[in-house]
Amino acid sequence: MIDLLQTLGTGILVGLVYALLGLCIVIIFKASEAFNFAIGEFLIIGSFLFYTLFFNETIPWYKALQLGTVIFIFFSFILFYDKNFRWRIALPLGITAGFLIYCFFFFGLKLSTLIASPILRFAVAFPLGLLAAGLVGAMVERVTIKPLLGRSPISMTIVTLGLGFLLRASVQLIWGSHSYPFFLDLPDITLEFGELLFLSDPIWAGILSLLIFSMVIVFLFRTRWGLAIRATSEDQAKAMAFGINARFILLIVWGISALCIAVAGIMISNFGALQVGMGFVGLRAIPVVLIGGMDSIGGALIGGILVGICEAAAGAYIEPLGLVGFKEVAPYLLLLIVLFIRPYGLFGTVRIERV
Amino acid sequence: MLAVENLRVVYHDVISVLNGVSIEVKEREILIIIGANGAGKTTLLRAVSGMIDFYDGDIIEGDIKMEGNSIKGLDATDIMKRYGVTYVMEDRPVFWYLTIEENLKAASFSRWDKRVKADMEEVFDYFPVLGALRNKKAGYASGGEQQMLAIGMALMTKPRILLLDEPSLGLAPLVTEELFDIIKRLNASGITIVLVEQNAHASLNIGTRGYVFETGRIVLDGAAQELLENEDVREFYLGSGEKERKSYKDAKRYKRRKRWL
Repeated sequence: MIDLLQTLGTGILVGLVYALLGLCIVIIFKASEAFNFAIGEFLIIGSFLFYTLFFNETIPWYKALQLGTVIFIFFSFILFYDKNFRWRIALPLGITAGFLIYCFFFFGLKLSTLIASPILRFAVAFPLGLLAAGLVGAMVERVTIKPLLGRSPISMTIVTLGLGFLLRASVQLIWGSHSYPFFLDLPDITLEFGELLFLSDPIWAGILSLLIFSMVIVFLFRTRWGLAIRATSEDQAKAMAFGINARFILLIVWGISALCIAVAGIMISNFGALQVGMGFVGLRAIPVVLIGGMDSIGGALIGGILVGICEAAAGAYIEPLGLVGFKEVAPYLLLLIVLFIRPYGLFGTVRIERV
Repeated sequence: MLAVENLRVVYHDVISVLNGVSIEVKEREILIIIGANGAGKTTLLRAVSGMIDFYDGDIIEGDIKMEGNSIKGLDATDIMKRYGVTYVMEDRPVFWYLTIEENLKAASFSRWDKRVKADMEEVFDYFPVLGALRNKKAGYASGGEQQMLAIGMALMTKPRILLLDEPSLGLAPLVTEELFDIIKRLNASGITIVLVEQNAHASLNIGTRGYVFETGRIVLDGAAQELLENEDVREFYLGSGEKERKSYKDAKRYKRRKRWL
């Protein structure tokens, strides 16, 4: 009994992180009907950006220079350049942004010398890192997804596949492929009742994931921007006809998605170490969204928790029988079973049929 | 007010849809555009409203001017915000999974201010049916209600010109009549209306002027009443006129007479 409770608890805590990953896929799928296969790469990029901020990591100048240049080009010509010739704003902005980011990578922010307390440092670095991740997501959207607006969602999905390889290679070039020790030094909130033991890190991961998850839901369902996003996700053409700038909405959705993925990435890195190969954890989002239903936000939460429990249960009960590594496969088996019973996932949209 | 000059539009770089169309919309009128399927009526509205990009079309020649300013190539949202041109797409463009109230709010996204609530009540005044259904999902509303909602949503954007694309599509004659009454009322309140219709008789009855489209060109134009009495329009769009069967020869004669703008 104690065993079961322990497994359930651990599973739910990890599941909340998976739910956040699922949410990122779901909001992009709702907005553009494309599946974001680059989720793993967004995850490591977010984690690395946070790492750079939090641990004073710097990058040698010859790498930072390229990065600054690339970002300059992004900002000046792709983010702002359009038919209305906004390059007069774009050029100076691009130069400033490129230079700032160059400085950031080259000199580092030296947060640890500025702020001594680790919890305060986390409070500063966390939003900054998320913002940076969101910006990266938005930039990637501008370059790869915006030109495809109005085309088949399949082409967007294929683009994200290629994008994944590109981003992973870039991360490898900039930060290398060795693993970085990752220790957030958050206050210890380990829970212990009798024989039950929940470690501090998973609890923090669960709490923060749930917090971000609920913030995204509040944003989507209680604000006017959220309403515009929901309208756009139903039909881009209709939204544009009624004055909602579908292109900008897509940018925001990708930004939010990249931001949430970064949270999940930071939490997952906090369980162990950070390295490029960790991107494969992002693919755990596939069973999550397929079990929950591709277009259901609540489904992502339930799916995430189910996958987390399934993984923990497989690790606790089946792996000791000699099936080492079954933990990795178990969510996919669960996925197979769910799809046999409900092909649209547990909470896939009930299509409105007029009678 | 709005002038389209010698417009040529091509889809996917190969399919030529509009071959030099010039129209003029005067302030506070109801302009009717009729024509067979595939004549390019919808494309014209898409080009004017800036949605043509989304459908992979290009304006390769000509210009669209709103009070002297060229709006060719601007974003749909820019055109709507700056010039008040609102395009109501065909086939009831409402968001099915949002409630009727949310639909109206979403449509007012481009001009979010304190008057949105008041405007919403105004829309419910125009369409009392919607007021009763305000918390119902729009997908469950009937066709007529959805079309009314679509026009209500367009009203939320505070349009100066309303481009209506076949509002009577798939509606019962009685509902169509009600809808056209409302369009007349909107026009009386100061909104210029461009109405694209298949239902030539009903629309020409409420309109002030009309254009007849055929394969991407304008073949006839004139006051709505004139068009109603025009022998060719009666024959090809109203289905009346001489009752006996026409041969192809006569159809050709009609084609020869068309005006090339």
